[in-house]
Amino acid sequence: MGRRAGITVPVLLALGLAMTGPAPAQEPKRGGVFRVAVQEAPGLDPHLTISFLSHSYVSLSYSLLVRFPNGPEQKHPADFSIVPDLAEKWTISKDGKVYTFSLRKGVRFHNKPPVNGREVTADDVKYSLERFMAKSAFAMRFEPVSSIDAVDRYTVRITLKEPYAPFLNHLANPVFCAILPREAEEKFKDFNHPDAVIGTGPFVLKSYEKGVRAVFERNPNYFMKGLPYLDGVTIEITPDASARLAMLRAGKAEIPHIWGWLGVEEARALSKTNPEMQVTPQQVIGVGFIYMRTDQPPFNDIRVRRAISLALDRKSWNDVLLFGEGCIDSGPVPCALKEWKLETSKLDPAKAKYLLGYDPAEAKRLLAEAGYGKGLTTPLFHWPGYVAPWRSYYELAAENLGKIGVTAELKPEEYGKYSSTTMVGKYEKMAMGPSTPFTEVDDFLYGRFYPELATNQSHVADAELAKMLVAQRREMDLKKRKQIVDDIQRYLADKAYYIYVPQWPQYVSHPAYVKGFKPHDGYGLGMRLVFTWLDK
Amino acid sequence: MRQYALRRIALAVPTLFLVSVIVFLLMRLMPGDVVTRMVEGQGYAPTLAALRHELGLDRSMPVQYADWIGGIVLRGDFGRSYWTRQSILEEFVHRFPVTLELALLTILISVVLGIAAGIISAARQDTAADYVSRVLAILALSVPYFGLAVVVVVVPSIYFKWTPVWTYVAFTADPLANLKIMLVPALVFGVTRAGPIMRIMRSSLLEVLRQDYIRTAWSKGLGERTIVLRHALKNAMIPVISLVGLQIPLYIGGSVIIEAIFRLPGVGLFFFEALGKLDYPVVQSVNLIIATMVVALNLLVDLSYAFLDPRIRYR
Repeated sequence: MGRRAGITVPVLLALGLAMTGPAPAQEPKRGGVFRVAVQEAPGLDPHLTISFLSHSYVSLSYSLLVRFPNGPEQKHPADFSIVPDLAEKWTISKDGKVYTFSLRKGVRFHNKPPVNGREVTADDVKYSLERFMAKSAFAMRFEPVSSIDAVDRYTVRITLKEPYAPFLNHLANPVFCAILPREAEEKFKDFNHPDAVIGTGPFVLKSYEKGVRAVFERNPNYFMKGLPYLDGVTIEITPDASARLAMLRAGKAEIPHIWGWLGVEEARALSKTNPEMQVTPQQVIGVGFIYMRTDQPPFNDIRVRRAISLALDRKSWNDVLLFGEGCIDSGPVPCALKEWKLETSKLDPAKAKYLLGYDPAEAKRLLAEAGYGKGLTTPLFHWPGYVAPWRSYYELAAENLGKIGVTAELKPEEYGKYSSTTMVGKYEKMAMGPSTPFTEVDDFLYGRFYPELATNQSHVADAELAKMLVAQRREMDLKKRKQIVDDIQRYLADKAYYIYVPQWPQYVSHPAYVKGFKPHDGYGLGMRLVFTWLDK
Repeated sequence: MRQYALRRIALAVPTLFLVSVIVFLLMRLMPGDVVTRMVEGQGYAPTLAALRHELGLDRSMPVQYADWIGGIVLRGDFGRSYWTRQSILEEFVHRFPVTLELALLTILISVVLGIAAGIISAARQDTAADYVSRVLAILALSVPYFGLAVVVVVVPSIYFKWTPVWTYVAFTADPLANLKIMLVPALVFGVTRAGPIMRIMRSSLLEVLRQDYIRTAWSKGLGERTIVLRHALKNAMIPVISLVGLQIPLYIGGSVIIEAIFRLPGVGLFFFEALGKLDYPVVQSVNLIIATMVVALNLLVDLSYAFLDPRIRYR
């Protein structure tokens, strides 16, 4: 089945438009304040929390060493090529182990005490990346780093223990590597205090009233000349989703979510009541799946896992819940990661049927062969609070599995418990939920399948696979790495370690006067708003 | 009286101690681990261990308890949030006026509406006014306040491109703007809480109106207004006041959802979010502060009886 089999023509057209951008270039207007209605972030220190909200808030104020393209620079929403940010240029040694970055000269931190607009130097980069390695929960992604040196005022050298292909992508991810000034930590102990948010990014945090709003103003000294167009950004803290949508409708916010996303039902309702709104479907990065204890019976038996996969009627899920606009071919590499995805149509059909096929009769036969002819019972742990369509997904999964004799008992968990037990692999038999949408294919492969990792929720321990997983992250030649990633996808096709469910699009929604706000699949908000302007 | 007050204050100490132990243990009994929750499964051993150490979670439970309660008793330090590392007391003091104002306005609205409707209904029994009041009271009783809140926020935004959701302004900064913001949530909450008050007011007043002394008043030729408002109402109010008193926890509990829907940065939301994030110190300290307030209020109420009814004596 084609990977876009589940996407309708209008969606494809819209995605196409998003990729090519608006045809007649309008001259951007300067001015105006962009208002974002969103929940409160749990903190502001980019290393002490991994919340996408925290990272998106402070992405308005911080810069990175390198970044992903945004606005007119990006070719499509999942464009993860690397462009300069604070580093003007960089070189990678032939053995792939030494990265040398040359910093832009004359870039200054925001003019706030105790930093007072001093210039960014190589020491700041060294300090920030070392702090990331010491404090961030994502630090594992820098495990291959052996040293970070400030060679001179404007040159940083990062030495790795081994070649590590995902490295630049991680450096470009706003979730990880914001460049911070040491003085602010010395004064405020960490970067959670609003006065400690001092970066080199496009917007300066002027005030932050907890539970109410955060006010950012344009950084007059931003190193990208003439940008941003906006005078400022205000985050209107709004915990309730219906209130956020009401604010969009009433003209009190430009976007009802940190990235402007609405779910399929909300987007349809909005288009109906407010046809003047611009609603753009975006196939976002993400994977949802059933995960199982593949190290224990009954799911250590491949026949049982394949039976589970064959029991799911993914096309009906997509038609009924996602109005046919979702992507069925959703794993192990997400639909939106186009550069890395090996479409199921290119796989051996005999294997691919265990990835996407629907065949309850065959599923029953496999179960009987595995000794479960009379069926089996399993809990299905999950967190019911994930946005639509998840609640329906859990019920549909249980219903589909019931048809082949597998009784899946729905076990809803409170988020604190789910995220600290089930989600990190501490559960019995079976669970279900979405994956964090990462920007590097390594996270969906190495992170999900390498033995002993907490993110290896299915407890996969496959030596042959593990070798390939390590090989792809050490391969610096893009073409060769792509081949290994393809091989991994071919290898995984019939293993049914995870059972993938259709991926739904998000609908980027804002008034028509918002221009240049291009959907991008990376994290952060700052760079999206650098190129945004208001036509009013 | 003074002795009684002192004895009650002395008794409050073990009560609050028990509250602190229970809330401390309950948080730890909740499934899940705060450090894993904070990193959502992304951390690996060294980061997790460092974070656990930084938050003091690698110490034994009695040590953690002693550290927390010792901080409060000896230094007035209610601790810091695990997530934001900000002072809990500062945050509480900042947010408490919002919740207090919402609760007071809600009580005011529900009491005024409930009592007025109850009086009209009872004084005009079996007339159109009575039926309308009763239907409205049943509606108020059966519509959940959070449902009404969502309707009030969403419906005008669809049909009139307007919504009663504003950016919060403190009363001290701009009283008028503040009241404009607080009025709609307090009305939504107050109207739904007025239902039971109206029902009790009506039945209580009807009962009083049938008593002999009221008949005597009628026979003396007194006007309706004097009989209902001066003679009957006072006696009919006792069950109403009890009901309002019993509803106070509901005003605090309900504020969580009202605060979330109407963007009010109050204590309810602070507490609720901390629970979801397993932010132990916040839940413990906010709980203890509120428990202290309840104990103090109870004491004040008990002492006030003596002023209201001279027959009551404390020993």
